[in-house]
Amino acid sequence: MSTHTHANGRKRGIRGLLARIRDSQFLSELASNRLAIVGLLIIATIAGLAIYARVFIGGLPPLTDGQYEAITLSNLSGNSDMAEAPPSLRYPFGLDGQARSIFPRVMYGAWLALKWGTVTVGASTVLGVGLGILAAYYGDIVDNVIMRTMDVLLAFPSLLLALALVAIFGTGLQNAVIALVLVYTPRFARVVRGAALKVMEDEYIDATVALGATDFRVLVRHVIPNCLAPVTVQSTLNFGLAIIDLAALSFLGFGAEAGTPSWGWMLSNGVEYGLHSAWWWAFFPGLFLALTVLGFNLLGDGMRDALDPRMRDAID
Amino acid sequence: MDRTPRLRSNGPLWSWIRDRVRLVGSAALGGGVLAVLGVVVLLLVTPSGLAVVSTQAFSLGALCFGFGLLGWSGSVLAGSSVENAQRYLDTGTNWSEDDSRRAMARIGGFGFGGMVGVIAVSSILWV
Amino acid sequence: MASKWFVVKRLLLLVPVLLGVATLVFAVLHISPGDPARVMAGQRASQEQVEMVRQEIGLSDPIWVQYGRFLADTAQLKLGESYVLRPNQSVASILKNSIPTTIELAVYGQLIGILLGLPLGVISAIKQDSITDHITRIGALTGISVPIFWSGPIVIILFSVTLGIFPTNGRIAQQYFLSDTWLFFGHELPRTGLITLDTLLLARYDAFVSAVRHLVLPASVIGFYSMALISRMMRSSMLEVVRQDYIRTARAKGQGERITFLKHGLKNAFIPVITVIGIQFGTLLGGAVLTETVFGIEGIGMILVDAIDVGDYPVVQGTVLVFALLFTLVNLGVDITYSYLDPRIQQ
Repeated sequence: MSTHTHANGRKRGIRGLLARIRDSQFLSELASNRLAIVGLLIIATIAGLAIYARVFIGGLPPLTDGQYEAITLSNLSGNSDMAEAPPSLRYPFGLDGQARSIFPRVMYGAWLALKWGTVTVGASTVLGVGLGILAAYYGDIVDNVIMRTMDVLLAFPSLLLALALVAIFGTGLQNAVIALVLVYTPRFARVVRGAALKVMEDEYIDATVALGATDFRVLVRHVIPNCLAPVTVQSTLNFGLAIIDLAALSFLGFGAEAGTPSWGWMLSNGVEYGLHSAWWWAFFPGLFLALTVLGFNLLGDGMRDALDPRMRDAID
Repeated sequence: MDRTPRLRSNGPLWSWIRDRVRLVGSAALGGGVLAVLGVVVLLLVTPSGLAVVSTQAFSLGALCFGFGLLGWSGSVLAGSSVENAQRYLDTGTNWSEDDSRRAMARIGGFGFGGMVGVIAVSSILWV
Repeated sequence: MASKWFVVKRLLLLVPVLLGVATLVFAVLHISPGDPARVMAGQRASQEQVEMVRQEIGLSDPIWVQYGRFLADTAQLKLGESYVLRPNQSVASILKNSIPTTIELAVYGQLIGILLGLPLGVISAIKQDSITDHITRIGALTGISVPIFWSGPIVIILFSVTLGIFPTNGRIAQQYFLSDTWLFFGHELPRTGLITLDTLLLARYDAFVSAVRHLVLPASVIGFYSMALISRMMRSSMLEVVRQDYIRTARAKGQGERITFLKHGLKNAFIPVITVIGIQFGTLLGGAVLTETVFGIEGIGMILVDAIDVGDYPVVQGTVLVFALLFTLVNLGVDITYSYLDPRIQQ
């Protein structure tokens, strides 16, 4: 396995990348993991629903969340008795008390969850990769200061740290995302640093440096490509957590604005007003939230098991 | 078993103290110099008064100091747990309590130096 | 073994931890661009109130004087007053009532998690790759994936609203709860604040039953989540231990499989799990924030959320300090347990 990485480390460009994918032990091992496939299917379904909701319910020109609200209004809005109708053929998940059909709202919630999850995980990945590689490449004091700071941040429980940050920055979806990016960055920095250190132990890096490659070139051509696999696994594992934490912040009232069809907010609405009268308000958004997270956890778990053992160590 | 430093001139205690003072002291010196320069420069460059500048600079130092302190005690407190959890659970990131404590002592010392620096330069300029 | 010196040393660590947290809280308040007096008094406070706060915390003094005064006050547990959430009530008194509530919830939740999670993990490891193992593992993954703020409402709808077995919210039935000060049939409740313990100490068994019935659902929700984590960890740790030499040796010597497992495996497998239980306690507190919100329990988690919501800075500050204190104490406990269990650790 380790010679494998060496051989591919030298290949360049898109062709090299394709060759890597074709004879990747990682992918073939992943494909034989049934649970991971189930996870992948769940994610694909949710993503399909999300895109469907965004394109066909939301309409292609970008809608604000407020405009979206008008579209899901059923024509029962005048009839206050019917405004919170239970699930039926016409409204599969029922109405939400303001005569809005919950089914399309939940589907649109999938879009919001995946979108903000991607923003959160994407930003923390970029930040984490940057910091982790700086730490690994420059070592010594840079390494110590960066990584120890990351360690302290890691020691804080994620939701409590996010809450503290929200208390400082103020509430709102953007601030919630910023808070979560700060919370998640250390996890990526740690994985990347570990992976990068292992890559740099390889002799061919020394050889490249001896041949006169610049720091930047070595990083971009050799170190970063070899960190991709563990980073992808870490992103998958944390995607589910990020979606839960975002929903939790919205649930507590510090994330998505009231009325937006985000799962967290719909749940909070259901718990606050519908617990005794309308079980479907909280049930369906939460069900989709749990399913999505389960999908990412199943896939992430399978990916971790399929990972090169040398890299697996860096992920917890 | 007992790691208490013993009092003997030139014995383990002195080198024990010297190492730590050097570690924290150099960082504190850096923080102090930076704070003095920072306050003076900010006073010259920005229109803000001394009270505002010293508040900001002092808080920044306090931020580092608090973070370092928390990190240092956290490392000591959870050090053996984390090291052992890693030994058993395969999350080898060669984290060590020692490294972590040292880094945190530096950050904390830097912040403390900054706070002292702000107090010094501001009290001189206050009148 | 944990010597007395070790315990004292660890307790002394509380000083830098709390000093660190207090300093951070102070720094953040003064570094943020807003007017600290305005932040303290809350966004909705009138100009006079803000001026009053400014006088009270002496904002015109040099910053280091304020810092010193803040530390001195905090050390004497003078955490200030709530300006918005519960006007004119001291932060210390608000927290005094809510800390035991959260502790009680967390302890029972963690107990359920440990009592269910450990055996499940062990069974899963013994019967590796059997159907039981697969079900346990998938169950554990599902448990981690289900957010507390969904499983909470579901069990409320199921067991309280539909079946009517358990109450929906609060800590104890209304007739036992007289006021904020926990006046119990005219006795003030001076004891622990842990309601299951206090009712027993007062020998009020009807009240005790009521308290337990209120605790079942929230504690189970927390327990289910932590069970999932613990069983996963126990399984992997147990498998690791089993692969080690001394178990093979024991097996070769002809001891029965079961005895081998129990005698050698369990204790060694438990050691790493307990450290992780300590580290994971923070997650549990985070879970408590959500559980308290769902079940309407007035613990520090709910106080924190409410305080952030209305912008009551002194309360947020006090709650953060308390969270740090709890976290430190739990890890101290874990450390001590750990050194008893693992003779290799010489403190």
